[in-house]
Amino acid sequence: MKEIARLILVLTIICVVAAASLSAIYTITKEPIERAAREEKLSAMRKITPAFTNEPDVDKVTISLGRDNKGNEIARDYYIATKDNAVVGIDFETSSAAGYGGTIYIIVGVTPDGMLTGVEILKHSETPGLGTKVTAPAWLAQFKNRDLANTIWSVKKDGGDIDYTSGATISPRAVVAAVKQGLEDFSSYREEIMAGAQTFITTQ
Amino acid sequence: MKETYILTTSPHIHNAESIPRVMYSVVIALIPAVLVSIYYFGVSALIIYLISIASCLVFEAAAQKVMGRPITIGDGSIMITAILLAMNIPSTSPWWLVVVGALVAVVLGKQIYGGLGHNPFNPVLVARILLLISFPVQMTAWVEPVPLFSGVDSVSMATPLGDMKTTLMLKGLIDTSHFSYMDTFIGFVGGSLGETSVLALLVGGIFLLARRVITWHVPATYIGTVFALTGVFWLIDPTKYANPVFHILSGGLMLGALFMATDMVTSPVYPRGMLIFGIGCGIITVLIRLFGGYPEGVAFSILLMNAATPLIDRYTTPKKFGSIVLDEAAK
Amino acid sequence: MADFKDFTKGIWSENPVFKIVLGMCPVLAVTTAAENGVGMGLATTFVLVCSNIVVSGVRTVIPDKVRLPAFIVIIASFVTIVDLVMNGFFHQLHKVLGIFIPLIVVNCIILGRAEAFASKNSIASSALDGLGMGVGFTLSLVVLGSIREALGNGTIFGVSLFGQGFVPMLVMILPPGAFVTLGLLLGVMNRIEQARDKKP
Repeated sequence: MKEIARLILVLTIICVVAAASLSAIYTITKEPIERAAREEKLSAMRKITPAFTNEPDVDKVTISLGRDNKGNEIARDYYIATKDNAVVGIDFETSSAAGYGGTIYIIVGVTPDGMLTGVEILKHSETPGLGTKVTAPAWLAQFKNRDLANTIWSVKKDGGDIDYTSGATISPRAVVAAVKQGLEDFSSYREEIMAGAQTFITTQ
Repeated sequence: MKETYILTTSPHIHNAESIPRVMYSVVIALIPAVLVSIYYFGVSALIIYLISIASCLVFEAAAQKVMGRPITIGDGSIMITAILLAMNIPSTSPWWLVVVGALVAVVLGKQIYGGLGHNPFNPVLVARILLLISFPVQMTAWVEPVPLFSGVDSVSMATPLGDMKTTLMLKGLIDTSHFSYMDTFIGFVGGSLGETSVLALLVGGIFLLARRVITWHVPATYIGTVFALTGVFWLIDPTKYANPVFHILSGGLMLGALFMATDMVTSPVYPRGMLIFGIGCGIITVLIRLFGGYPEGVAFSILLMNAATPLIDRYTTPKKFGSIVLDEAAK
Repeated sequence: MADFKDFTKGIWSENPVFKIVLGMCPVLAVTTAAENGVGMGLATTFVLVCSNIVVSGVRTVIPDKVRLPAFIVIIASFVTIVDLVMNGFFHQLHKVLGIFIPLIVVNCIILGRAEAFASKNSIASSALDGLGMGVGFTLSLVVLGSIREALGNGTIFGVSLFGQGFVPMLVMILPPGAFVTLGLLLGVMNRIEQARDKKP
């Protein structure tokens, strides 16, 4: 009995000390982590959107895109970038589960007319050196100025307009499909998004 | 049933001449396919054979010297490796691709394990897969064969299997009508150097069978399984699955079934095991061809069955007189 | 009591990767580039040194029966600290090493050193042991990562090594390349040892 009590006591003390130090570290790092995550998102937005002066991650319009097959609502945030009381661009996140190593998370920037101003990869687990070529700025640059009308949305191997590095077709296919889907969603809900965007202009 | 055993149970009579005899028989059997490939793919094919032979000889000798083993580059086994390696890559391959392939086949595929007879996997296929994964662009740069001295420039062209897979993906249907059976039989299609001519490979295979270097078990069950399985799918939906004749004439099946799946070192020893080996290769090949990401699955399937070979041998070794007592004693 | 040998043995004679062959999961998974090797190595070194010090400090207090759960709690705490700090202050590195940081918890080297060394030796010796093992681990990862990055991507630490004509050997940065490279390096290490033993 006495031995068990000692075991419990020692383990409890170790756990309490560990928990206390972890919570202290958590409190210290909470803010920097959030700031870093936000900065990462904003810097991606700056890359894919014409210059803006507001905070697009705050000025957002949330649109319901219907329900998924489990009946849960799919909501997407459209981040509105404004400058001089005009909407200069809309950013939104999209993703494709068809990546080679799992889901690829993408942020897409469009003009109010639905023309692409840029595409960035936020998160992925593609094969280094092969699938990761989709994160190369040179590859992503080709999306600029494309829209649903002026482009055949598939990679060249499948008869489309999008270039890719030979050998890795799966990752580019996934990205292209996700961007296309994002553009289609945007054009379907464009009226709603732009109506919502107006409120950020008048309140400024 | 009458069986002809090439590799017999004891007493084992060692014959110093046997390795070179077997090996050079295989080399002779490969000659028709080599000549056809040089005829269709031209001087570049010849150069690839020469580079492959030279670099395989150098790497073999160097590896044996470094590892302190007797240098045995004269026994012919390295010639088979070299020729088969060249046969497994496209005619457009740059020189370094051949050299890297030779290095992988000889050092990683064979000498690392202790040399001839100790390698669990077919060295040539190890090299082919490694090259295919490493250099997907160069390893699929097929060109249309152009008969020697015809003076026409060769143009790039997909292999029949590759073409089938791309069409299926784009249109949801297959269309193999533009490949004639005669062309694929003779070898007038795109592909790796030595895999295109079914005719030349069959000639070599029959020669080996006649000389009893190989037995019918593996090639017959391998090709038979591919024919039967693709036949079933073809009967189910001929718009999505090509007919079995197309499947056995295309890709590396003949080369693989006759010359690589029959490799003595890496395939089962006894006829019963060979049958299992051949059927396994056939099933995996069909699965990869019909449902996999790659258009061709011969190399992968043979390597996978190579890995299963020790297990197959274990369960198919015939019971010898008195072996039960030995088993008991071993416990 | 602390001996400088406690530090140096981790680098060659008891190198965690090439001699003890422990912690193969991160070794194989993160070494696609030299830079990843440095990050993973340093994070592991930090956890190793801290956990060795703490384990050694409490070694007389902890009853034998619960030593493993106690060690694991200590190690897991330090790993979480590394994860949080790296995420907050070195965000880019955290993005690269991502899922591998939590995996340090199950890295056998750390529990192995806690169990085999720190629980029996003084704090100073344990700290040196942790540092030596960590440095040995980091060096091994950098060597593996450099070879794989050079052959598989044509670069080392992102610096291009060869000219334009170089065609990278993709397999080297894929999982098979990790196994092949590790195997060859183990062979080379054994060869060097053999040659050293032969000399008087």
